[in-house]
Amino acid sequence: MDDAAARTADHGAAAERTRLAWRRTALSAAAVALLALRPAITHPAHAGRWIAAALIFLGWAVMVAIAYRRARGLTSIPPRPARRTVPAFALLALAFALLGGLVIAL
Amino acid sequence: MTKSACCGPAFWTSAVNNQQVLREWFDPEKTPTVGRTPDYRFSLANERTFLAWIRTGLALIAGGLACAQFLPPLPITFLREGLAIALLLLGSVVALRAVDHWARTERAMRLGEELPGSKFPAILAMVVALGALLLIITVLINAAKE
Repeated sequence: MDDAAARTADHGAAAERTRLAWRRTALSAAAVALLALRPAITHPAHAGRWIAAALIFLGWAVMVAIAYRRARGLTSIPPRPARRTVPAFALLALAFALLGGLVIAL
Repeated sequence: MTKSACCGPAFWTSAVNNQQVLREWFDPEKTPTVGRTPDYRFSLANERTFLAWIRTGLALIAGGLACAQFLPPLPITFLREGLAIALLLLGSVVALRAVDHWARTERAMRLGEELPGSKFPAILAMVVALGALLLIITVLINAAKE
C-alpha cells in the first residue's frame, strides 16, 4: 500500500510548491538583512552596526544553505518530510530579531 | 491502527515537559516515534504553513527595522523606538510559535488526532490592529498640532 502511494503521481505538485515556499522565505529574509544593513551604510564610521549587519548576512547565508539542502530532500520520491531544517530556520529568524534589536539600539 | 496510535493522547498529556517539547521541535519524527508516517503531502502542507508563519514573522521584524529608520520622531518620546522593539518582539514570538505549532501538527497527524487549534492568529490580529490604531492616533495628534 505504501509502495503504491509512493508511486502515485503528485498532481498537486506539493514538492515543488514547498520548494518555492522555501525560496520565497529566503527572499523575505534577504529583505530584512538589507534593511538591517542600511544604518551601517548611512553611518559608515560605526563599527558596531557593521558587525551586526555582517552577522545578519551570515545568518541569511545559512538560511539560503538550509533552503537548498531542503530542496534536495524534496526531490526524492516520495519527498522526505522536514525535520531539523524547520527549527533551525525558526531559530535563525529569531536571531534576525535579536540582531535587528541590536541594530536599533546601537 | 497501531497500538501507540491508540494510546497516544494519554501519553501526550501525561508526559509533556519542556525537554520533551524541545526534542519534539528538533526531531518530531524520531522522538518518540508515535503513530505512523502520514501522507507526505500533509507533511509538506504543514511545512508550507510553517514557512508562511516565518515570513509573517520576518515581515514584522522588517516592519520594526523600518519603523526605527524611516518614521519621523513621534510626539511621545521613544514611541518610535518602542514601536520598533515591539514589532521585533512580536516577530520573534511568531517565529517560535511557528515551530511549536508545526511540531504539534506533525504529531497530531502521526497519531490521527484532530489538528491542534490555536487562538494565536486571533490574538496576533488584535495586537496588530491595536498597534495600527495607536499609530493613527499619534499621526492625528501630530497633524492637529501643526
